[in-house]
Amino acid sequence: MTTPNPPVWRVVAAREVAVKLKDKSFVLGSLTTLAIIVALIGLQVFLDSRTDTHDIAATTPEAGRLVEAIAAAAPEIQDGVAITLVEEDDDGAARSAVDDEDVDAWLTQDDDGGWRLVTKDDADSTLLTIIESVVRAEVLATNAEDAGTSVAELTAGTELTTEQLEGNPELSELQDILGFALAFMFYLASIIFGMTLAQSITEEKQSRIVEMIAAAVPLRQLLAGKIVGNTVLAVAQMAIYVAIGLVGLSFTSFGDLVPGVTGTMVGFLAFFLVGFLALSCLWAVAGALASRNEDLQSTSTPVTMLLMLVFLGSAFLEGRWETIGSFIPPLSAVAMPVRLVNEDATWWEAAIALGLLLALAAALVAIAERIYRRALMQTGGKLSMRQAWQLEE
Amino acid sequence: MLEVIGLTRRFGDLLAVDDVSFSVPAGGLTGFVGGNGAGKTTTMRMVMGVLARHAGEVTWQGRPVTDEDRRRFGYMPEERGLYPKQAILDQLVYLARLRGLDASRARTEIGELLERFGLGGRTSDPLEKLSLGNQQRVQIVAALVPRPDALILDEPFSGLDPTAIEAMADLLRERAAEGVPVVFSSHQLDLVDRLCDRLVVMARGRVAAQGTADELRAGAPVRYRLRLEADAGWTAEVPGISLREHDGVDALVEVAEAGAEQELLRQASARGAVLDFGRVVPRLSEIYREVTA
Repeated sequence: MTTPNPPVWRVVAAREVAVKLKDKSFVLGSLTTLAIIVALIGLQVFLDSRTDTHDIAATTPEAGRLVEAIAAAAPEIQDGVAITLVEEDDDGAARSAVDDEDVDAWLTQDDDGGWRLVTKDDADSTLLTIIESVVRAEVLATNAEDAGTSVAELTAGTELTTEQLEGNPELSELQDILGFALAFMFYLASIIFGMTLAQSITEEKQSRIVEMIAAAVPLRQLLAGKIVGNTVLAVAQMAIYVAIGLVGLSFTSFGDLVPGVTGTMVGFLAFFLVGFLALSCLWAVAGALASRNEDLQSTSTPVTMLLMLVFLGSAFLEGRWETIGSFIPPLSAVAMPVRLVNEDATWWEAAIALGLLLALAAALVAIAERIYRRALMQTGGKLSMRQAWQLEE
Repeated sequence: MLEVIGLTRRFGDLLAVDDVSFSVPAGGLTGFVGGNGAGKTTTMRMVMGVLARHAGEVTWQGRPVTDEDRRRFGYMPEERGLYPKQAILDQLVYLARLRGLDASRARTEIGELLERFGLGGRTSDPLEKLSLGNQQRVQIVAALVPRPDALILDEPFSGLDPTAIEAMADLLRERAAEGVPVVFSSHQLDLVDRLCDRLVVMARGRVAAQGTADELRAGAPVRYRLRLEADAGWTAEVPGISLREHDGVDALVEVAEAGAEQELLRQASARGAVLDFGRVVPRLSEIYREVTA
């Protein structure tokens, strides 16, 4: 029993994790979040695989040919849309088929040669887009032929191609969503696990067990163990969410993009780890300043405000401000991964930002330890940061 | 042996502990008594290192005490508690592991002690489900595992029922007999008188008196009670004797010069029958009242 096996901080960290894993509300909350992620992905997979079938009525051979051309072109224009031709005897039958909803629409040619789509109410916008573009192409081809030329000749040089200087156009949409999701997840996880850490520190003050622990082990080890324990929980939970999210994403239409964002996600976890560590120190201070759980609300307000700023900053800063912000800790904890996702930061920029974040974390550890040590034995109400700083051990 | 030498602590302008020195020898129980605010808790906190000291030192086996030494001291703070929602066995094992005991040995030692305090069947109950008295018992177990090298207990008996007081007292005697220095503070002077081999009396931040109970009594004034057939007022005239209390035939006298009580007895016998004559052994509470006055 004389050998310090294992080191105290690990015993403390192990307890933090074990207590949390036995906490029903924590386990339920995590499972619920997982269920939501899986459900969202499932919804996407379902939407991807769903085929929309539209029945289009035609009464003349010309209209029938056009509908068949539309049916043939539809899958190329829009995934998951199928169009079937329904032949009707005359206009009256076609009109009543639309009215009775036996068919979705009726394509007919007016006397002046123009085409008309008859629907019961609002035409489905996807359907309308497909039909419009096929009708235009078909009619254009006919007109061109009549004029003794071809569509290719007529449209030569009319195509506008695009080039996006920043980022990958295919990824853009996904990147925007991912960036926002990352910022939000960091915010949420920091609040949840930060609050857990603060509570676990306040609980020891409130229940008065802290004096016994303080007599037995160095407070630095106690603080380190608590921060490590909660960081492990937070990063593990985040890693599981991200992994499930990426695996799920690979089943959706975004599947091809997964290999491209996986590296960025690992980068995000690294920033998350260091950023969480830095903010943990502030949460620890909030916990130590409170004497009872009820005090936590007010002692943690500065930390929640800061987190809110980090979240909003990383979600809404643009251009140069985003670049600057991505180096300023703790904002960089989210802003830099968001830039990495958008592929507008280089690895050395990320390395510098991570270094600065680490420096902040180290400074905050030292400050937090001093305040923690001084405030921990003060059980008579909440303290201000200044009071705690000036207390004598 | 645990020794405290010249410990001093101020809180702002208040000198809470002023040059306090005493020793806690192995193999006996040392009682630490004094009124509220006398400086007992502050002293014990400095001994355990949870409060910085402004002067003085604490030595263990003749050398300055280290954090590693303290890790093996059993400590029961005055402000104490445990995790309300954790199972009692789990948290006791945790506390024992913090102090360097491996988990399986901790389980064995804790199991034995919980059994002894009648809590053997409740090891997986969360602490908050236990009665306050039982929570106190768990607290005691927390201080006693792992087997400590020394015990520093601040008011260990407060809140205990008579059965638990006896169980606690037996445990402390056992540990002391095994050679563990034990110091505990208490307001229950009769209990301290019954249990302790040595006493340290504090008043207003200073040690007012210390020693074995006999030594303390030896320092107290020697008093005799006298009952005669007739009025005892004349005893005030005997040289070396001062009359403290006088009620007709009864008198309580204090002996200022050794041997004067023999002269008193001779004169009393010469005057008539002596119905009662005996040394008054002061109770600890009386000594306490006197040294802290």
